[in-house]
Amino acid sequence: MRRPRVLAFIDPWSPDPAELPAIQAHLRGLGAELGVVTKRGTWLVTPDDPPARLAEAPEADRSFEVADGATLVEALAAAGDAMRTPAPMTFTRREWALTSIAAGFSLALFGCKGKPHEDKPAPAPPPVVKAPMPPEYDIVLSVNGSDRKLKVEARVSLLDALRERLGLTGTKKGCDHGQCGACTVHFGERRIKSCMQLAVMSQGMKITTIEGLAQGDTLHPMQAAFVAHDGFQCGYCTPGQIMSAVAMLAEGHAKTDDEVREMMSGNLCRCGAYPNIIAAIQAARKGAA
Amino acid sequence: MEPFGYIAAADEKMAIDEAPRGTFIAGGTNMVDYMRLGVIKPTTLIDVSRLPLTNIEAAGDGVKIGALVRNSDLAYHPLIQQKYPVLAEALLSGASPQIRNMATTGGNILQRTRCPYFRDMHYAQCNKRQPGSGCAAIGGFNRSHAVLGGSPACIATNPSDMNVAMAALDATVHVHGPSGERDIAFVDFHTLPGDHPEVETVLQPGELITYVTLPAVTGKQHYLKVRDRASFAFALASAAVVLDVQGGTIHGARVALGGVGTKPWRAKEAEAALVGQAPSPAVFAKAADAALAGAKGQPTNAFKIELAKRTLVRALTEVSK
Repeated sequence: MRRPRVLAFIDPWSPDPAELPAIQAHLRGLGAELGVVTKRGTWLVTPDDPPARLAEAPEADRSFEVADGATLVEALAAAGDAMRTPAPMTFTRREWALTSIAAGFSLALFGCKGKPHEDKPAPAPPPVVKAPMPPEYDIVLSVNGSDRKLKVEARVSLLDALRERLGLTGTKKGCDHGQCGACTVHFGERRIKSCMQLAVMSQGMKITTIEGLAQGDTLHPMQAAFVAHDGFQCGYCTPGQIMSAVAMLAEGHAKTDDEVREMMSGNLCRCGAYPNIIAAIQAARKGAA
Repeated sequence: MEPFGYIAAADEKMAIDEAPRGTFIAGGTNMVDYMRLGVIKPTTLIDVSRLPLTNIEAAGDGVKIGALVRNSDLAYHPLIQQKYPVLAEALLSGASPQIRNMATTGGNILQRTRCPYFRDMHYAQCNKRQPGSGCAAIGGFNRSHAVLGGSPACIATNPSDMNVAMAALDATVHVHGPSGERDIAFVDFHTLPGDHPEVETVLQPGELITYVTLPAVTGKQHYLKVRDRASFAFALASAAVVLDVQGGTIHGARVALGGVGTKPWRAKEAEAALVGQAPSPAVFAKAADAALAGAKGQPTNAFKIELAKRTLVRALTEVSK
């Protein structure tokens, strides 16, 4: 199923690399993609890809037009507010050269800055309904030896705080439900799943991520062992595997291959690099012994 | 995840005082999962994870376990390894090392079911989530569901391994609430679904689990778990057994089953069939039949009746060697 699509009518407009990040940020917030219809052509912008030129206007769930003098980003922000209100609001559209727009597209236009038609009374402006902002909390996280101050909502996971706020993207998001282990970090001495841990509950404990494991340019022995034994294919699970394996050796409950398999059961590898992962861990264990 | 407020409880009193405003959270492994799925939507979380309830200590002949003791700390503690190996085995058969490092004793007792219809908000029918909406599991995909203790309203299993051992060991749950402290026998702590599967325990609003005590037990202990994978999977059937054999006769028996009951399932009928007998395959089979006598299978989980019997027989055989 495709994501919701919003259509914007604006003229003139052409893709601008400087404007693109802001547009895509709004689209991510809305969980939507955007069709931009101008008199000279149509583009499709998604949250992740550069604008693609389309032959005709695509079907859309909502649409709005951008008033003269307003930018697409401003209009998108206002449209976002309107889309979050429960009831759809219909605006009278202004004159527009519609001949290029494909048949089948609904013209029940929905927008934010439309000019009312001359001989009809202007509709009342839509009430601006904004949900109250969720409370934010000032927290300090001790990550890889330094204290990092953050302001977060209570629902932010430690994983998201590390990745999205502190830029520590070595820790990976796989399932986001505590099952795959890609998000494994050390919380004090313990290995935990950072997706199941709320950031607000993570203060006062030393957190170590994969970025904090090496000493300068010298890899941690477990990292070196994973390289030497080719303990990965795509590499997405690898930071979690390594963090988990380092803590597992410190715990001291696994020696045989079977015990290592059992004690690494919280880290999944969809490539199936398990034999090499076991070999790497056993090499590191014997080197450490 | 829906937004919510957050309060860090400084002490037990503050946690209990704040309880009417929100929901307790400790390890978070179950709560955060279900909040992210949209199954539970607390307005405020009351963080009890920093309360000083993390001790494991001898208490009389038994042991006292703080509600915030992590599953891994409990499983590897010398007192538990020596005196309650069935509990250590049960804990180590559950989840993964990372989850066991986070999950707490109190939280594990309150672990919610893994019923896929309870977890998946796309299903409108779930009496546990939405009382009165119906049960999609009855007549649906119910391979993981209960054969003991179900009702026309719900057949979801209690998924915890730890709880099965706690039931067999006659644990007592100690709680602290607005009207003071009280003790609850573990076997009475969880309730059967009946007409109200949304009610899962006898905990009253605002009550916080503070610690669990285990009495001294005599006999050999074992937890056997049967599941779809060798590791990191919930039980299809499991058995926690304690068998005290003296002079060729079973003097005492404790039997609890997991993966097959709507609550941690203490099988007193099986115990009655064992005590006074000499251990033998025939006696174990009789005990297993007694334990599952009231079982009711669904089209895709009836195999669990036989599976649970064999699991129990094998566990009993193991401890009578």
